[in-house]
Amino acid sequence: MQSTRFTVSKYVCGMVASLIILLAGGWLILAPFALGYQPYGADWVDQTINDFATGIPVAVVALISFFLFLASALGSLRAAGLLVSRPQAQVSGIASSRVPVTPEPGVQQSDLDRTLSTLAAALAADLAARRQASSNQQANQSIEHLTQRRDM
Amino acid sequence: MSVSEAMKRLIPPGSYVLFLLFLTGIWVAISPFVMTTQPAGQHWLPATVNNVVVGAIFMVVALSGIVGYMLFALRDLLREAQARREATELASQAPADF
Repeated sequence: MQSTRFTVSKYVCGMVASLIILLAGGWLILAPFALGYQPYGADWVDQTINDFATGIPVAVVALISFFLFLASALGSLRAAGLLVSRPQAQVSGIASSRVPVTPEPGVQQSDLDRTLSTLAAALAADLAARRQASSNQQANQSIEHLTQRRDM
Repeated sequence: MSVSEAMKRLIPPGSYVLFLLFLTGIWVAISPFVMTTQPAGQHWLPATVNNVVVGAIFMVVALSGIVGYMLFALRDLLREAQARREATELASQAPADF
């Protein structure tokens, strides 16, 4: 049976793409001065204004994209149980701290959990069947042994 | 798993932002011609070359990010579906053995 593996490749793919675009956006801001098509001390030419007006939003949006992929990756790691969320500071008083915050079971249970619980139930049933079979076999052997003694 | 749930797993919010960056790449690449900072019929200016190259990088990288995420997410979905099917088969076989 092929096991279900948790992979972060997809998140890394998105984060790397965002980082490359962030760097390219930074280059777009610097390019008019680095390539020299913006004269020093003069008013900004149209191309410089366009590069600035495009480069800054691109860098910001790429950063947002990076953090979105990072948040998705962290959420998946938490859902898989590889990361444990930090306990929140109890500032709301004793009364609220006494009430345990339990998540709704239906909301938190992922497909993987359902699959694992089904598999665990199947394995438990199989184990019970094997135990029953072995106990029956032992009972038969002891009965046979007693019968042989009586015959002697 | 419903189709909308599967689509949500294939296209996360980050992919929408990457698509926005893909559109921005198109603008960056064509902006010298739209804004007529590149004279028609002449060799490309350094600014034009820079904008076309950077715009192409935006487009290729953004599209690669979207498609790469989608492929990896699809692989994970298929693995999960296979594991679920095998678990269901195992669960249905266990009472029969008993």
